[in-house]
Amino acid sequence: MNRDTFLFLGFVGLFAVVNIVLLSTGTVTADWTGLGIIVAAGLTLCLYTFLYKDNLLFKFAEHVYVGVAAAYIFGQVWYPTLYGEIIEPMTGSEQGASQDTWWLLIPTLLGCLMLTRFSARIGWLSRIAFAFVVGLGAGFAIPRTISSYIINQIEPTLGALSLTVDGLNLFIILVGVVTVLIYFFFSVEHTGVVGRASKVGIWFLMISFGASFGYTIMARLSLLIGRVTFLFRDWLGLNIAQ
Amino acid sequence: MEKLLNIDRRIIFIFVFLGVSIPLLVEELEFPVKPTQNVRAVHEMLETAAQSDGGGLVLFSFDYGPSAQPELQPMALSLLRHCFSRGIKVVAICLMPDAPGLAEQALTTAAGEYDREVGSDYVFMGYKPGFASVLINMGQDFKSAFPKDRWGTPTEELPVTRHVDSLKDFDAVIDLAAGATPEMWIAYGQEKFKFPLGVGCTAVMAPDLFPFLQSGQMTGLIGGLAGAAEYEALIKTPGTATIGMRPQSVTHLVLILFILLGNVMYFLTRRRAAGSTGATA
Repeated sequence: MNRDTFLFLGFVGLFAVVNIVLLSTGTVTADWTGLGIIVAAGLTLCLYTFLYKDNLLFKFAEHVYVGVAAAYIFGQVWYPTLYGEIIEPMTGSEQGASQDTWWLLIPTLLGCLMLTRFSARIGWLSRIAFAFVVGLGAGFAIPRTISSYIINQIEPTLGALSLTVDGLNLFIILVGVVTVLIYFFFSVEHTGVVGRASKVGIWFLMISFGASFGYTIMARLSLLIGRVTFLFRDWLGLNIAQ
Repeated sequence: MEKLLNIDRRIIFIFVFLGVSIPLLVEELEFPVKPTQNVRAVHEMLETAAQSDGGGLVLFSFDYGPSAQPELQPMALSLLRHCFSRGIKVVAICLMPDAPGLAEQALTTAAGEYDREVGSDYVFMGYKPGFASVLINMGQDFKSAFPKDRWGTPTEELPVTRHVDSLKDFDAVIDLAAGATPEMWIAYGQEKFKFPLGVGCTAVMAPDLFPFLQSGQMTGLIGGLAGAAEYEALIKTPGTATIGMRPQSVTHLVLILFILLGNVMYFLTRRRAAGSTGATA
C-alpha cells in the first residue's frame, strides 16, 4: 500500500468517523437536511483534495457536479420553456390557452434544425437556423454595441478638463486611453515619441492587470471563505464569531 | 534562500487556510467596513425608488449560480432586505438556468423577515433563456416575456405586475451577475429605457465594469464580498459578508507577505549570483 492509498483510506475513514460523531451528538440532524449537509461537506472536501494532487475523490466529485448541473439545467429549460411555452400551448392542455399557436412551429422548427448538426448527411440544414440567428443577432447587436460600448464610452473620456479632482481623473483616463491605443498601434515603429508613449501605455496596462489580479484573488478567497464557513458552521457546528 | 524561493505551494495553501479559518473563529479580530461611493449609489438609488409613486417597483435580475453564491447571495439578501424594509415592490427574474434555486431562497428568506407576501409584495418570474432576446422582449412587452410567474399564476393577475407593461415601468433595475449580463442590461435595457441600473457582481468582474460607472450607464456597483459587506453596513444588518471580511483581510495580509518575501528572495538571489559572477571574473 503506497502513501497515496493510505491517505485516501485515511481521509474516507476520518470523514466517516467525524460524521458518526456529529450525528450521535446531534450537531447534524438525522434527516434529509442532515444528509444534504453531509453530502455537501463530503463533496467540498473531495474537491479540495486536488490541492494535494489529482486523485480519485476529486474526479468523483467533479463528475457528480457536471452530471447534476447538466440535469438541473435541463430541468430548468424543459419545464418552464420547452414544455410550458411550446408543448402546453400547442397541445391545448393549458387552461385558457390561445388557439393561435401555430406560429410557435416556426421557432420550434428552427431549433430542431440546429440539432441536425449531429448528422453528417443532413447537417447542412442547420445553416438555415444559424443564418437566422446570426442575421438577427448581428442586426440587434451592431447598433447597440456601437452606441453602448463605443460612442457612450468615448463621450465621457473627451469631457472638459479642469483643475479639480474630477478633472485630474479625466486627464489620467485620457492619457491612459491614448497611450494604450498607441501601444496597440503596430503600423508605426515604436521609437522616439511613439516609443515613449507606448511605454506609458504599458504601465497603464500593467496597473490594470494588477487591479484585475487583486480583484481575482479577492473573489477566489471569498469562495474559500464561503466553503470554510459552511464546513465550520453548518457541518461541524462550530460557533462562527459575528 | 533557494529553498524559500522554491517553497512547496501546499505550504502556502496551509497558510491561506489558517488565514481564513482562525479569523472566522476568533471574535476579537475586527476590521471596520466603510461603504464606498459606488455602493452608496446603489443604496441611494433604492431610496429614491422608495419615494416614487406607489412605493417603488424594482426589478431584480438574478444571474448567478452556486459558484458565485458566497459573493452574490449576501448581496442579494441585503438588497432585498433594504427593499422590503422600505416597502418597495420586487419583481425577480433569472437569465441563468442555475439561478432560480438561489433566487427563491433569497426572496423567501428576506420576505419572511419583513412579512412580505408573494404576489402582493414581490413576485418571482423564474428563469427564461435567451439573454439579450429576453431583455428586448421585456422592453417591448413584459407580460409576453413572462406570461406567468414561477408557480404558474398569470402575470396579469399578480398585483405587483398587473400594471407593468415594459422595462420603463420599473423605478430601478438591479442585476446580480456572475457573467456578461450587466453589459447586456446596459446595451438592450438601460440605454433604451433610461432606468437607473445598479449592478452587483463578482469581484473578478468589477474592474471591467468601472468604465460604465464613469459614463453614467450604471448608477452604482457592488463588487464582490467586500461590496456586499459595505451594503450590509449601510442597512445596518451585518451578515455573512461582514463575517467574511475578517478572513478576507487577514488572508490578504498573508498573501502580501508571501509576495514581499518572494520578491526580496528573488532580488537577494540575483544580487548574490551577480556577486559570485563578479568574483569569478
